[in-house]
Amino acid sequence: MNLSTEVIEKSDKKKILKVAGEVDAYTAPELKANLNPLTEEEGAEVVVDLTEVSYIDSTGLGIFIGALKSAENHDATLRLTGLNERVKRLFTITGLDEVITIDDENTEEAK
Amino acid sequence: MAESKELLHDQYANILRAYLEEQSEQGLYYAQQFSKRVLEEQISPEEVVSLHLEVLEEFFPDLPKGAHESFELLLEVMMGYGLAYREHQSLRDKTKELEAEINVAANMQQTFLPDEIPHVNGLDVGVLSVPASKMSGDYYHFVKDDHDCVGLAIADIIGKGIPAALCMSMIKYTMDSYPEQRLQPGALLENVNRVVEQNIASNMFITMMYGSYDSRTHQFNYAGAGHEPGFYYKAAEDTFEELHAKGIVLGIKRNTDYKEYQLTVEPGDFVVLLSDGVTECRTDDGFIEREAITRLIRTYQHLPAQEIVNHVFYELERAQGFQLRDDFTLIILRRNV
Amino acid sequence: MSIQSSVEVQTEWGIVSARQAGRNLAKEIGFGGVDQARITTAISELARNIYLYAEKGEIVIEAVEETRGTQKKKGIKITAKDRGPGIKNIREVMEDGYTTSGGLGAGLPGVRRLMDDFDVDSVMEEGTTITAIKWLR
Repeated sequence: MNLSTEVIEKSDKKKILKVAGEVDAYTAPELKANLNPLTEEEGAEVVVDLTEVSYIDSTGLGIFIGALKSAENHDATLRLTGLNERVKRLFTITGLDEVITIDDENTEEAK
Repeated sequence: MAESKELLHDQYANILRAYLEEQSEQGLYYAQQFSKRVLEEQISPEEVVSLHLEVLEEFFPDLPKGAHESFELLLEVMMGYGLAYREHQSLRDKTKELEAEINVAANMQQTFLPDEIPHVNGLDVGVLSVPASKMSGDYYHFVKDDHDCVGLAIADIIGKGIPAALCMSMIKYTMDSYPEQRLQPGALLENVNRVVEQNIASNMFITMMYGSYDSRTHQFNYAGAGHEPGFYYKAAEDTFEELHAKGIVLGIKRNTDYKEYQLTVEPGDFVVLLSDGVTECRTDDGFIEREAITRLIRTYQHLPAQEIVNHVFYELERAQGFQLRDDFTLIILRRNV
Repeated sequence: MSIQSSVEVQTEWGIVSARQAGRNLAKEIGFGGVDQARITTAISELARNIYLYAEKGEIVIEAVEETRGTQKKKGIKITAKDRGPGIKNIREVMEDGYTTSGGLGAGLPGVRRLMDDFDVDSVMEEGTTITAIKWLR
């Protein structure tokens, strides 16, 4: 399965990473390579748009956890948006919705 | 080596002579058999070309002009194939070596899992754990104390294969080092979480569910760390309920409390614990629904617990064309009627 | 017997000249057709590496002799020298399946297989020297 990512720069600080496809053990490294550098910028506001993501497995969750820790170390923020039911359930079950900010609705594009 | 080369030379000369005399299918068949021979002897293509030229020049000392030279050119062309062939052989040997190494590791990993399921009066237990490849990221654990109380754990280490397997020893040793807390699921998870949080890479985590069953009181206490919910079957109502314990996965937050839940298990009731390899089975029609799993369990419910898990696994494996995408673990714990 | 010849490699013509020099000497020493092809293929690979990664360097081809007891053996030695960027991880490029340069793509493991003795010495930012010998049997 394929994964594609695209970075949209909303401002100097605010960056949206649009992800499409499936995030699993095979595609996770690519997500990591595209996501982590964004969180390493001091004070960055990173939003990951998962509207086009159909499926995430546990390796994928690990990438978001790693990115969150990286963001915290650089005084940056990480927010997820556009999760489908299946993906949202994964964050709820694992309790990771307690530590990662997740938008209820995909409102990012409208802003 | 020189001897076998001479032998090959003679064999090839005979085959070629026979074929030049009479172009029969049999002659070509001998040539095919000969190609197996040279492969066995690890003769590279450029040597075969050279052998052909040698024999040809013996038969026809006066080859037309250019014939010899054309073979020189062919020889050069075959060099690349020869190298690719040898590289392929060396890679194949390396694969075999790696495989042997992984087999040793996989056998070692088996020792982390219980040898046998403890027998407890009044309980029927079934367990099946199958890795997607050789090493597993699923862990389970059973322990029985002197009072016929059972502790049981199921854990899923993020990812699968070797990285996950390496993590498993940590869980195993941690569990073994807290014997006195075996029967307090919440406290046990809090302790395991502390160890995992300090020892795991930042993008890794472990999900786990721990339950204890007291066969004197028929109480089932459990707590969960972000693990895939199981099921609870209520015999009196003939229904399946989701068995979920709220709590964050192990390895993320240093000090975490894990809420403990309690159930009273009636005769015929059973607990189903599973890893996400069970619920994330994917067929051509997409992911299977959780209801499909309870439907399957229902089909085989009349059988002993071990046979239920075996059948459910077989059906799910079949639905996926006998290819597992993720490690699979399914546990059923039933109070006998 | 010519003792030594040195060919500058800067273009693909250099690769061809190095091959020619290698074949002439291999013939002189008495190597058969298959071994000649092996030696020239090894020279090609080494010269291509210079051409592709170091841009400039030289291939030295010489006849060598070794005496062990009463046994005397003759061989051909190829030395590829460049002042390129150097090889960062030699063990990695010596692994099968690493080759990325396309074409024949036999790479250094291929050269090692074609020849009998093989040695690499590389210093980052200074360059690489590869020597390979094939002995006459």
